[in-house]
Amino acid sequence: MADKKIILVTGGTGLVGNGIKAAMEKEGKREDEEWHFVSSKDADLQNLASTEAMFEKFKPTHVIHLAALVGGLYRNLKYNLDFFRINSQINDNVLSTAHKYKVKKVVSCLSTCIFPDKTTYPIDETMVHNGPPHDSNFGYSFSKRMIDVQNKGYHLQHGCNFTSVIPTNVFGPHDNFNLEDGHVLPGLIRKVFDAQASGNPFVIWGTGSPRRQFIYSLDLGRLFIWVMREYNEVTPIILSVGEEDEISIKEAADLVVEAVGFKGEVVQDTTKSDGQFKKTASNAKLRKYLPDFKFTPIKQAIKETCDWYAANTDKVRK
Amino acid sequence: MSDKKVILVTGGTGLVGRGIRAAVEREGPREGEQWHFVSSQDGDLRDRDATEALFDKIRPTHVIHLAALVGGLFRNLKYNLDIYRINSQINENVISTSHKYNVQKVVSCLSTCIFPDKTTYPIDESMIHNGPPHDSAFGYSYSKRMIDVQNKGYHMQHGRTYTSVIASNVFGPYDNFNPENGHVLPGLIRKAFDAKADGNPFVIWGTGSPRRQFIYSLDLGRLFLWILREYNDVTPIILAADEESEISIKEAADLVVNAVGFKGEVIQDTSKPDGPLKKTTSNAKLRRLLPDFQFTPIKQAIQETCDWYAANPDKVRK
Repeated sequence: MADKKIILVTGGTGLVGNGIKAAMEKEGKREDEEWHFVSSKDADLQNLASTEAMFEKFKPTHVIHLAALVGGLYRNLKYNLDFFRINSQINDNVLSTAHKYKVKKVVSCLSTCIFPDKTTYPIDETMVHNGPPHDSNFGYSFSKRMIDVQNKGYHLQHGCNFTSVIPTNVFGPHDNFNLEDGHVLPGLIRKVFDAQASGNPFVIWGTGSPRRQFIYSLDLGRLFIWVMREYNEVTPIILSVGEEDEISIKEAADLVVEAVGFKGEVVQDTTKSDGQFKKTASNAKLRKYLPDFKFTPIKQAIKETCDWYAANTDKVRK
Repeated sequence: MSDKKVILVTGGTGLVGRGIRAAVEREGPREGEQWHFVSSQDGDLRDRDATEALFDKIRPTHVIHLAALVGGLFRNLKYNLDIYRINSQINENVISTSHKYNVQKVVSCLSTCIFPDKTTYPIDESMIHNGPPHDSAFGYSYSKRMIDVQNKGYHMQHGRTYTSVIASNVFGPYDNFNPENGHVLPGLIRKAFDAKADGNPFVIWGTGSPRRQFIYSLDLGRLFLWILREYNDVTPIILAADEESEISIKEAADLVVNAVGFKGEVIQDTSKPDGPLKKTTSNAKLRRLLPDFQFTPIKQAIQETCDWYAANPDKVRK
C-alpha cells in the first residue's frame, strides 16, 4: 500500500480551502490520506514558533498553502507594504518549516492578478516575472511571485518538490460576498439576493461585455488534489477553464438571475467602467496533463453557489 | 543650521563602505554629521534583536545600507535560496528597524546585475522589474529588487524617504581581488601583481574588446554623500560613469600594467569567452541632477588602487 499522506491545508477555511474539502468529500476519503484544514485559529503563520508548533503537532507529509493576507482593491492600495511584508513572512515560515519537517510536497496558491500589468494574451505560466504587476496591488503580487522564486531555490539547493498553482476567477460557497472588496461573480450574486430582498432593481455595472474564465471552487479543489498527488514540476501551473468557456459579465448575471429566481428589474449602468475586455489565461499546460478533465457546467456551478448562499445566510461573509 | 545627522553605514568595511569613508575624510568632517561604519562584528543583521540593539546603541537618523551576502558566480549558483532568504532577512531587519527608530532616510545599494537578463541597452532605472534576472544569481537579484518594492511601500504607507542607488563595476582599495569570484578590474590588478612577482606572463582572458563603465569607489562615495544629503526620490538612481568614459578590457589592462610597472610579457588568451561587448548603463538621471560632477580620471584611479594594493598586502582580500 502507498505511504500514508498527512495533508495540511493552511488557509483551509476560505473559499479555496472549502473547495478542496468539498472535492475531497465528494470523491470519498482515501485510506492513505489524512487531511487537516487549518486556519489562523490553529496557528499564527506570521510567527515562526507558532508555525513550527503546528507542523510538530500534525507532522504533515504534504502541504497545500493557501493562507495569505488578501484584500480587494481598496485595502491594497495604501497597505501594499503590509501586504508584501506579512505575506512574505507567512510564506517564509511555511516553506522553511516544511523544508525542516521534510515535507514531500508543498503546493502554494498564486493568482492571475500577480502577472505583469503590461502583457500580451493569452497569459501563460512562463510570463509571471516578465514585468511589474499592476500598481494597485504590487505588494501582494510581489510577495506571491517570491513564492515561485523560492520554490525554484528550494529545488536547486535541497531537491525539494515545492510548487504552485495559478487559478483564475474562483467562485463558490464560502466566498467573500462583500461588494467593496469581493470579486465580480460573488458580487453579482450578492446584488441579486439583495435586490430580491429589497425589491430594488438589480444593477449590473458597465456594458456587461467583458469576458472572463470562471472556475468553480469544487473544480479547483479537484485539480488541487490532482496537483498534490501527481504534478511534479516545480514551475507553476494555471488552473482554469479554457478560453472557449469564457462567459461575459452579462451572461454570468443572467445565470445568477435564473439561479436565484429573481423576477425584478435588471438595469445596466453603462456609466460605470468595464475593466479589461478579455484577460485570457491559457490552460494548455493543464490540458496537456488532463485532456479529459470535465469542469462543472457554469450554470450548475452558479446554481449550487446561489443555493448555498440562500441556505447559509449566517455563514455568508459580507 | 541643519539638524544633526547620525549616519549608520552597514557593510561599512567593504569596497563601497571604504569608498564612502574616503570621500568623507577627503571632504573633511561636516559639522552636524556623525558617521558610524559598522560591520558584522558590530551586529549580525540576520538577527532581528541584534539589529535593534545596534540601532539602539547608535540611534541613527540616516542609514546607508550596504550589507549583503554577495557571492560571485560559483557561490551563487547552488545557493540561490540561501542568498535570497538571508539577504531578504537582512534587508527586512535593517529597513523595518530604521522605520521603527524613525530614521529619516535609508539609502540601499542595488547593482546592475539584478536587471532583466533579456534587455535593450542602455539600461536605465525604469527597467529593473521588466523581466527575470540572469539565472545564475536569481536569488541575489530578487532579494535586491525587493528592496525597491519595499521602498515604494514604505513611502506609500508611511511617507518614508527610503531609496536606493544602482552601482556596478566599482573598483578601488579594499576590493575583493580573488580571481574566482571577484570582478574584472580587481582581477586584472591581482593578475598583474602576481605575474610581476612570479615572472610569469600576464594573461588577459578573451579578446579584450568588451567595453565597460568603471566607477572608482571614491567617486561612488562622493555620490553617496550627495544622495544622502540631497536626493529625495524613492525610485532608484544609477551611479555610473558617462558612456564616453567606457574603456575596453584591453585598455584597462594597459592602465594596470602601467600603474603596476609590469615589464613582463602580456598575453591575450582569445580561447576564453568575452561576455557582452557593451552593457551600457545610462547615467542620464544623475547627469540631470549633477551636470558638473567630475569623476576621477581612470588612469589616476587605477594608479591609486594599485598603489594601495602594493602598500597593503595584509589587507588585500584574496
